[in-house]
Parts: sequence; structure tokens; C-alpha cells
Amino acid sequence: MIEVERLRKNFEDKKRGTIRAVDDISFACQPGEIFGLLGPNGAGKTTTLRMLATILEPTSGTARINGFDVRSQAQEVRRSIGYLSGSTALYERLTAREMVTYFGSLYGLTASDIASRIKEIFTELDMNEFADSRCDKLSTGQKQRVSIARTIIHRPPVLFFDEPTNGLDIITARTIIRFIRRCRNEGRTVVFSTHIMSEVETLCDRIAIVYRGQIAAIGTLEELRERTGKQAFEQVFLRLIGEEDEEDDLNPDDTTGRNTKQGGDGNLRQTAGGGLTAVSAGQEARR
Amino acid sequence: MTMPQQTFGGSTQPHPGRQSVLWTIFRKEFREIFRDRRTVISVIIGPLIVTPGIFAVMGVAIGKKVEAAKLEVYTVGIVAPQSAPKIADALGKTPGLQIATITAADAEKQIKDRKLSAVAVLPADAEVKIEAGNTVPVQILEDAGSETSRGAAGRIQESLSRFGTQLITRRLRDNNLPADYATPFVVTEKPIEQGGSTAMMILSQMLPYILILSAFTGAIYAAFDQVAGEKERGTLETLLVSPASRRDIVLGKFGAVVGVCLISSMLAIIGFMLPFITHLKVFDFLTQGNIHLQPTAIGVILLVLLPLSVLFAGLLLAVSTFARNQKEAQTYLGSLFPIIAIPSVLSMVIGDNAGMGVALIPILNASIIIKQALNGTYNPTFIIVAFAASAAYAALALLFAMRLFQKESVLIKA
Repeated sequence: MIEVERLRKNFEDKKRGTIRAVDDISFACQPGEIFGLLGPNGAGKTTTLRMLATILEPTSGTARINGFDVRSQAQEVRRSIGYLSGSTALYERLTAREMVTYFGSLYGLTASDIASRIKEIFTELDMNEFADSRCDKLSTGQKQRVSIARTIIHRPPVLFFDEPTNGLDIITARTIIRFIRRCRNEGRTVVFSTHIMSEVETLCDRIAIVYRGQIAAIGTLEELRERTGKQAFEQVFLRLIGEEDEEDDLNPDDTTGRNTKQGGDGNLRQTAGGGLTAVSAGQEARR
Repeated sequence: MTMPQQTFGGSTQPHPGRQSVLWTIFRKEFREIFRDRRTVISVIIGPLIVTPGIFAVMGVAIGKKVEAAKLEVYTVGIVAPQSAPKIADALGKTPGLQIATITAADAEKQIKDRKLSAVAVLPADAEVKIEAGNTVPVQILEDAGSETSRGAAGRIQESLSRFGTQLITRRLRDNNLPADYATPFVVTEKPIEQGGSTAMMILSQMLPYILILSAFTGAIYAAFDQVAGEKERGTLETLLVSPASRRDIVLGKFGAVVGVCLISSMLAIIGFMLPFITHLKVFDFLTQGNIHLQPTAIGVILLVLLPLSVLFAGLLLAVSTFARNQKEAQTYLGSLFPIIAIPSVLSMVIGDNAGMGVALIPILNASIIIKQALNGTYNPTFIIVAFAASAAYAALALLFAMRLFQKESVLIKA
């Protein structure tokens, strides 16, 4: 359903020259599977998903989504996908119904189809109470439900989620996690990017560890554990990207993940929420 | 929350036609634009309420000032009144003039110190010259920078003019000459029925400027909200993952901005015409005379405004696309605004018989045509050349905006 072949993206920066954000990434995922992209901020996850969603054009390589090429059949690809991220916001001056109707029209659904889909989705997501309220009047949780409705109005077989729980409270985040799981159960292909390890452990069938624009490893959680000989996922992650902490070697059986709070060469830090943040060597030196 | 069981859509969905996508985007943008309070104020409330309101306030203020000037009593001085008692008497009897006798040496100081509003300096042989039937030179001293002083000087002149008419009548009678002997011509002015008027002149001077600025300023918020605003709020990415092509997105947005430009100028015309249509007393200062706006003139104005609106929409949308947020777009506007404002101001001083070279200058050409249309002096060649030039500039602006919209470096934050 998704085949990614040597996908690469360079950005030009006046000061820093050519920056390779994604470096020859290849992977594939199947219907009924949640495929996780795990990596620290700036690893290239968002750029990868943006290329798969045809928002960005790859510098080289290609990908096929639902049988369509992202380079030559971009419009067909967009018709096949639902894309939800922290940066896909809502039109604040439209109501929830208008917002979803607008996207239904852009996807080519007929007025009657849109009406029946809205009825179905709004009931299921418990949105009828605020269906005709303007989006700027909605709570974060309500907004997130409108975003979900917008994402699935056209019944996409492929769904991309780019750090969808970023900045959300635990209840809203749980709604999103449940929604993603249901998408998998319905047989959709789901690609889920995050830097929060617990979400990956809970959700993903297979995981690609993305680091500095490359895929460091791909496999199921068990396969990755087996490959590294570590149990705690934080340790698995650090070993796979070659940033293992000295303490890890001293306490190889530590499964709490606490020891990841101090990165080996200062490139990664675990955040309070269990996420990973890239930090520079300079920043690390100041700590 | 339970998810509905679904069958998948994806590529099996019917594809909407391009027109349908464009129309969908246009309708949504238009709806959203007019839900923005800033646009409602600048496009609707501004021209329909604020502009006539300003005229009304000006009318009331000017009316009050005129009334006050009529009732005001000016203290004026006469130098050497004893040399011409008849003139002094005539001035003394003039309503609203209070006479003080002063010396020539004091005259200017008294005016400067605001003790006197103006001074009439009579020559020492004034009475002799009157009796001899000669001309008497009278000098009126006034402070040209003071409205009161100029009002007082005017009233002295009116008084002397009336007294002069009496003298002429008496001299003609004394010489057994007919009363109209010293009036070789009686000149009257009669405005032709389809001709202009003072009001029309004001309209032709100001309307091009107002229309052009209204079309531009009315669309600023709408255009900046369209791309820079979407980037800022994070809705652009939502739109870019829909099947709508970037060309359709930019054209849909562009159509909405053109629409706002046109509505803004139309409402500016209506707002500016309100004083002339309503004939309210407060607008008297502006509406002395008739307005004859022929349907052809309205047609020509609309014809000119169309490419102009396209040009403005293209420019504003390009700025909006290039900017990272609305604040940055406002900064770029600072450089763009003089380019729009200067030609429209120039049209106020350039006559409606401008040469063909002017037809190639964007914005100025439109201003001149609007002026011609209002004065009823059409030059079809000028209109055709100007329309073609404006359409070409508009197409370039649109292409530029579309090209910019294709560049992911300006559209997406890396």
C-alpha cells in the first residue's frame, strides 16, 4: 500500500548551504498496519510525511501510495490519503460542519454523500452538539475531533499522522490514539510519526527509527529488542542510533529507561513526557 | 467515541471538475473573508458609513463657519477718515463693521496685535478726487494668514463696492447719461443641460483617487489573510493535502480577492455618490450643481476597474504568498503602497486629455479614464490601449503570484 524508495530531500539554506533533511529513506507498509516513524525533533519525520503527502517534492527517489506515484500522480495520492498533524489547523471562521463540508467538496463527494458522511461521523465522534459552532469557539478536544472528521470524510485507505498528540492534554491525546487504532482495525494503512516512545510501544506494529535523515533500523518492537539485546525501549532506541549512554553499559538490565535522561554525547534528551529532543553539543556542554 | 465502519474511498471517488474545485474554493474564501471583521469594516462600513459621515461632519462644520462669519462684527481701522467723510460714513454704516480711527504708522501693528482685523488707508485728497469724478486709490491692510482679517478686508471691499456703485449712478445722472452707460456688457453664465458642474468637477478630481485606493485598501486584509494568514494559522498545510491543485487553490483565492476589490470600489462609488443623491443640506458644500453620471460612464468605470482589481489582487496575493505571516506582509505593504498611491494622486493634477503614453502607465491610465468618463470626454483609443496595458500588467501579476505559490520554499516552513 505504501512503498518508499530511496526518498531524499535537500533544503537550501543561505547560511548553511545544502541541508539533507531526508537521506535515501526506503520502507514499505501494508493495509491493516500501523507503521511508526520514531525519532527526535529534526530527524526528518515530518519532511518524510510531507513528501508522502505531496506537500513537498522529493529531491530524489520516489514513493507509491495506494498504487500512485507521489511525483507523477500527486493529485491521485492526495485523494487516497488522510493527513493529520499538529500543523494542520482548522479555518476558525467556519463552523465544524462547514469545515468538513468544504473538504468533502474538495475530495469530490456529492452534496448528499457529504451530508450522510457528516451525519455518520458527527454522531460517532459525538460532534452534533457543536456542529454549527465556529471553530474558533471550540475547545482543543472539539477541534481535534473536527480535524479527525476532516481527515476521514473521504474514506481514505491511507492515513498519515504527524505527531498528532503534540501539545494535547491526555484525554484528547487518548482520543487520537484510539482513532488511530480503529483505523488499523478497519484495514487502513497508517503511518504514525512521533518522538514519544510510549505511543510507539502502544500503537505501532512495526517501527522505523529515524535519525539524522536516515532510517537507523526497521522492525517490530520485539525484533528491535532482539537486535539490541535491550528491553527498555529507550535503550533500544539509543543503541540503534549509536548514542548509547555509558550508564547503559554499566546497567545493561535497566529496563526503566531512566538512564536515558543523560545522553551519551549530548545529542538526545528524554523529555518529561517520554519524548526525545535533539540538543546540540554546545547546549549539552552548558548543562 | 466509536468509529464508523467504513468502506474506503481514495481514488475510487468521483473526481470533481476543475471548475467545481475553483468554485468551491472561491465560495469558501468569499464566505470567510466577509466573516472577518476587518474586511467588513474596510469594505462595507468604511465607504458606506464613514465616508458620507465625514462629508456630513464637514458640511455641518463648514455651514456653521459660514453662518458665524456672516454674524461676526469686525473692528476695522480707517486711516485719515477726515479726508473722505463720505467713505468713512459709508463704511461706518456697513452692518458688521466697527470703525476705529488710527494713524498710518500704527496700522500694521494694530493688525498684528489682533486689535484691528483690517485697515482701510484713504489718501489725503480722497474727497477731492470723489468730487472731481476721479478714481480714489484705497489700500486695505490685512493679515493674509488670518481668516478673520481676510473676512474683514472682504467686508470693507464689499462696502466700498456698494458705495462706488452709488457714486457711478449719481455721476451718470449728473451728466444726463443713462444708468447702463457704464455697463457695456451684461454677462451671465448658463450651464448647458448635459454639461458638467462644480459638483461634477469635484467628483472627477476625487473619484479616481478614491476608487483606486478603495479597491486596493479594501482587498489588503482579504489578500493577506488568504495565504500569509493561512501560513500563520497552519491551515495552508490542511489545504495543500487536499486534492485541489496549487493552481486551483491560488486561482480560487485570487478570484475571491478580485471580488473584494470590485465590491470595495463599487461601495466606494455608492458612498461617494450618497451626498449627491440624497441632496441633504449637510452635503450642500459639496453638491452645488447637478451630477449627470451616464450609464456609459458607469460601464467605462467598471471596465477599467476590472483589470485594475485583477492587478491589485495579483500584487497583494504575491506579497501575501511571499510573506511568512501577516505582520511581515504589512511590512512589505509599506513599499507597495506608494507605487499605488502616487499615480492615483497624480491623476488629480493631470488633465483628462493626457497623451497616449499615459495609457501605458498602470493605475494612472485607469484614473484618467475614470476622469474622462465622469466628464463625458471619452477617447476610445486611449481606453483600448489602457485596457490592454492594464490587462497585460494584471496577467503578469497573476502569473507572478501563481509562480510564487508553486515554490515550496515560500509556501512551507522547512
